[in-house]
Amino acid sequence: MLPLTPAVFHVLLALAGGERHGYAIMQEVAESTGGRIKMGPGTLYGTVKRLLEAQLIEESDERPDPSLDDERRRYYRLTGVGEEVARAESRRYAAIVKIATGKKLIGEPA
Amino acid sequence: MNSSPRNWLLAVSEMIYQRLLFAYPKAHRNAYGADMAQLFRDQSRDAWNESRNWGLVKLWLRVLPDLVRTSVIERWSNFNPRKTMADKIFGLMRAPSPLSTFFAVAIAVFLLTLGTSIAITFILPETYASTTRIKVEPDMEPPANGYPRGTSIDPYFIQTTVEIMGSEVVLKNVIDSLGLNEKWGKKFNNGGALQTGETLLMLRKSMQLTPVRNTKLLAITVYNEDPQEAAQIANAVADSYREYRLKSLTEQARQGFTLLQQHYQQEAAEIGQIEARLNSLREQLKIGNQISANPSPQELAYWDEMGGLAQILDMHRLLSLKIEKEKVDAEIPKSSMVQVVDPAEPGRTPVKPNKPLNILIGIVGGGTLGMIVGEIAMLVSLRFRKGNGHRLTPA
Repeated sequence: MLPLTPAVFHVLLALAGGERHGYAIMQEVAESTGGRIKMGPGTLYGTVKRLLEAQLIEESDERPDPSLDDERRRYYRLTGVGEEVARAESRRYAAIVKIATGKKLIGEPA
Repeated sequence: MNSSPRNWLLAVSEMIYQRLLFAYPKAHRNAYGADMAQLFRDQSRDAWNESRNWGLVKLWLRVLPDLVRTSVIERWSNFNPRKTMADKIFGLMRAPSPLSTFFAVAIAVFLLTLGTSIAITFILPETYASTTRIKVEPDMEPPANGYPRGTSIDPYFIQTTVEIMGSEVVLKNVIDSLGLNEKWGKKFNNGGALQTGETLLMLRKSMQLTPVRNTKLLAITVYNEDPQEAAQIANAVADSYREYRLKSLTEQARQGFTLLQQHYQQEAAEIGQIEARLNSLREQLKIGNQISANPSPQELAYWDEMGGLAQILDMHRLLSLKIEKEKVDAEIPKSSMVQVVDPAEPGRTPVKPNKPLNILIGIVGGGTLGMIVGEIAMLVSLRFRKGNGHRLTPA
């Protein structure tokens, strides 16, 4: 299954922090990349659709804070498989970073 | 605070995006259309809060290519359902040739349209607007029988005022005072002075006179490439109209005053005649300062006429006072009839062309056109490949 596309990996990473709706996923991705990646609605929901089909994520009926939220929004969360895939991809990136560090292409991670 | 431009722009932007969602296959639209529209609404709100119109333009520059790319991908995936789970995630990374055709054509058309709209926007001369607001009061009615009748309600007053302000009577003074025949001749007539009639037509075209609803205010807006000139003209139109009104009112007051004076002189002559006649009668009948104990019928008639004369003299004195009042009134300037409430200032930013709007139209129009032309190009490419026996599914 690996490597994942950047969009897929970013959505999985955003959902690794807990269940979120589409706008929250987009905000999380934008924040974690320092605003470099701002997913459009088409990319986000295309990715969500594929991740649902691949059973890496699932819709959640629970609401983290019903008083603060809009019932019409759909929440998504990682499945067990999704979490494993996210871990595997993270390990793959970590290994690549280790190689790049060894070659002195980048500094030691903080 | 929710202002109307915000609501209008955001509403139009969201409406366009919702229409563009028809680019996606029906199944995808049914499943995610509402969520995508909601996400676009959230992003629009953020973009507006960040930098207003330009925020929306930047959002569309990001969202439109995303919409074009993903709608084609969704349509393509509908056309070629994937078999394996890995394909479900990664298969689209390998774009088949017809998709490449689509992207190449769509992006080319999009860039061409956007480039053209940007070029036109920046080539068009910038126009500034300046507005003067004036308060106008209706005329006093002319005096009737020597007594003014006060103000009247004229339903056509504002409409008449607008017509007068756009008339030659008012605008010719503006043309003369600002030397517009010469100034505009240099700009538009190869240096030769324009005829007043030509300048008048151009001036009328550059002006907009708008009554402010439910008030006595009128807004005089002038559009010009030079912000200073726009403000000068707007103020000059207001001044010229005020002068016209003052002149007209002064003339009216002078006419009223002359009529009263004529009436006074006529009355004085009549009084003189009556007094002469009564003096002669008094000498004839030897009448003293008081009525005698046994007055004759002639003496009674004399005293009756003396009573009448006293009344006429009282009225004559009142008329004299009225004339003095009118004289003072005529000398007081009626500047309150036309007041400049807000003088025009040179505009800081051009009102035309509306750059963000034009670019937004370029983005949306270019994107839509790009998708249509790209789709046609892709269908032509597919037909061609099918005709040549190529596989339609990705490798």
